[in-house]
Amino acid sequence: MGLFESAEKFEEVLAGFFRQLGQNKQIADKLLKSKMIIRFKYTDPDLVIVVDCSGDEIDVRPHDTETKATVEMSMTSDVAHKFWFGKVNLTKALTRKEMIAKGPIPKILKLLPAIKPAYEMYPKYLEENGYSEYNIH
Amino acid sequence: MGGYAGQLLYIDLSSGKIEKKPLDKAFARKHIGGLGFGAQIYFDLIKDNPAIDALDPGNPFVLMTGPTTGFKLDGAARWTVGTKSPLTGVWGDSNIGGFFGARLKFAGYDGIVLTGRAEKPCYLFINNETVEIRDAANYWGKDIYETDQAMIADLKPETGRTGTVFCIGPAGENIVKYASIINSKRHAAGRAGMGAVWGAKNLKAIYVNGTGKIDAAAPEKLAEIKEELKDVYEESIFIDALRASGTPAHIDVGSLAGDVPIKNWLMNEWDQIDDIGPTEIEEKIHAGHRTCYGCGVACKKEAEVKDGPFKMAKGPSPEYETVATFGSMCLNADIESIAKANDLCNRYGMDTITCGATIAFAIECFENGLISASDTDGLELTWGNAEAIVAMTEKIGKKEGLGALLAEGSAAAARQIGGNAQDFLTTTKRMEAPMHDPRSAHGYALAYAVSPRGACHEASLDFNIEGGSQLIPEIDELFMDYEEFSSDGRARLNVACQDYGMFFSCCAIFCNLGAVPLSATHAISIVNAITGFDYTLEEVMQAGRRLWYLKRGITNLFGARAEDDRMPKRLMTELEDGPTAGSVPDMDLMLSEFYELRGIDDSGIPDPEVLKKEDLGDLAALLGRV
Repeated sequence: MGLFESAEKFEEVLAGFFRQLGQNKQIADKLLKSKMIIRFKYTDPDLVIVVDCSGDEIDVRPHDTETKATVEMSMTSDVAHKFWFGKVNLTKALTRKEMIAKGPIPKILKLLPAIKPAYEMYPKYLEENGYSEYNIH
Repeated sequence: MGGYAGQLLYIDLSSGKIEKKPLDKAFARKHIGGLGFGAQIYFDLIKDNPAIDALDPGNPFVLMTGPTTGFKLDGAARWTVGTKSPLTGVWGDSNIGGFFGARLKFAGYDGIVLTGRAEKPCYLFINNETVEIRDAANYWGKDIYETDQAMIADLKPETGRTGTVFCIGPAGENIVKYASIINSKRHAAGRAGMGAVWGAKNLKAIYVNGTGKIDAAAPEKLAEIKEELKDVYEESIFIDALRASGTPAHIDVGSLAGDVPIKNWLMNEWDQIDDIGPTEIEEKIHAGHRTCYGCGVACKKEAEVKDGPFKMAKGPSPEYETVATFGSMCLNADIESIAKANDLCNRYGMDTITCGATIAFAIECFENGLISASDTDGLELTWGNAEAIVAMTEKIGKKEGLGALLAEGSAAAARQIGGNAQDFLTTTKRMEAPMHDPRSAHGYALAYAVSPRGACHEASLDFNIEGGSQLIPEIDELFMDYEEFSSDGRARLNVACQDYGMFFSCCAIFCNLGAVPLSATHAISIVNAITGFDYTLEEVMQAGRRLWYLKRGITNLFGARAEDDRMPKRLMTELEDGPTAGSVPDMDLMLSEFYELRGIDDSGIPDPEVLKKEDLGDLAALLGRV
């Protein structure tokens, strides 16, 4: 069993974090420029979240399995959690298929500079929103 | 015996004697190819008189292809050169892509052994069976691009074909200690100053036109493996990233992990890093894609700067290492200036890693008052001053003013500059470290420290394995997951990376980028299908291990000892912020474990019994006498 006891809890934490990223102008501007729709598919616990950057603002939609995504990223919830702390070697995770990316690679690469500031935000977000038990920083 | 051309060329530049010697089958089987051939031949030539200077006529130079060179395979266009390095004073080698290796084999030769020194500038002309030493007066003084273009134009009427050129530029002629040799304007034997050795030999270029073909021993089997690999390559995100952005993709990925050195290794976070990343490269300088012989990965990119102070015609785009040395290392966020510095290095023929790292070192000396504008002919050599960085690159190529001192490399320059300049060094065995921070992956530190040619991320497969781009399921050490930011297990990992890496990228010779999706089974099957030999994993590991000890032993013969297996203080200092904050490799632990695993004594020399076991008894005897 992963760090998160339920899909509901994981959704609460991660979708909340994605929404906070969407409110951060520095990050949101870059994501919106990409016009991408990203579907995250998590396991253990299972959860699907779409982050839609195709409109005027970032739209975070848990359980959206219908929208056609530009990019799909699959991983366990624990890998996702560690990733947002900056504690996952991305190259290694992709090679070992701990993270599986489907979609145009140049577009996926362009996301990396956009999300870099998120690493610092995640532990703070956990602390400030009552999720400190998940803070592994 | 499939896959090999079957002959080696021996050229004595002093006497002008040219010999063609058949490639012995047993020799090929034992050493596989590339540096397996080259280091052995080199050692046999110097063992009676190893006390040579790198720039002496008595320092041989070996250029060797591998069994896979010349086959239309992804990640297999590589070939190698080796000699004593004028930069480091120990064994130096370099691994090159491009077209020259394939064309040389098509002309009928697996490699070239150069000895002596020509009386006046010359070039080697190879047109299939015709091999001649010719006068290079018309080319001496020309830069790499001019030489390449002129030689091809001059010789096309004679050979009827374009041919391909491997040449030095003014930096090699002027003995810049990190001069490179470049094929087709863009494929460089960059590291360790191979071009200066050619300059000392008065050798400007080798032109080759080869129209023959090389057959695999089992072409159907090879075709079958290639078919199987289509899916493997299709699934590789690493290959996709290389295709899309080339090696600079690592600016994005590496900076997340703190792998990209910034401000001469003082930082690993920088708010302007994206200005030199792949997105900016694509928007500002990208001008097309290129590849090496037979490789579908096409990771080479073209660049062009149309206007402004760094205007440059379309040509090779900077690789990741160059973007980092002239960019983040110098706090220079101007990607056009980095393209220009790269262009200058290519034209003069200089290693971009050592050149950029040496300029970063010089900037720190300038900022700390150890050198001043009076030393730099008025250049304000400060962090981020793009104009000064580009101007200093040209001064080094010309060996003009401070450029003449920096042309010796940063270790030599630090001795001359004095004060605390040594504190700014990033060298091991006088070679500037590549742009991958050991504080992000501790095994890199050991890999740099014990690399026979000095700090190098390509001297074994540790960067690929620990960095995560490559997995070898057949070898436990190269498959297991290692705890991040830890030095545990890195000695054993490095030993396995050296043994397999010597086979993979030095002997076979696969590309450390384009061939990363290959498992050991794939790699060995390809070599077996091409050669007709029946290598096992155990056998190729043994060949790799022997080559590692041979290179280590040659470096020991040239004077390197345990104290040279040390990392510079700068790279071993904890950073307070960023992704690697608080992380520093435990060198004492890793080195002591490594020495024990390799049977190396406290002085840094391998145990004679270990060498004898690897069939290196003559090396053991020689080391016993020094």
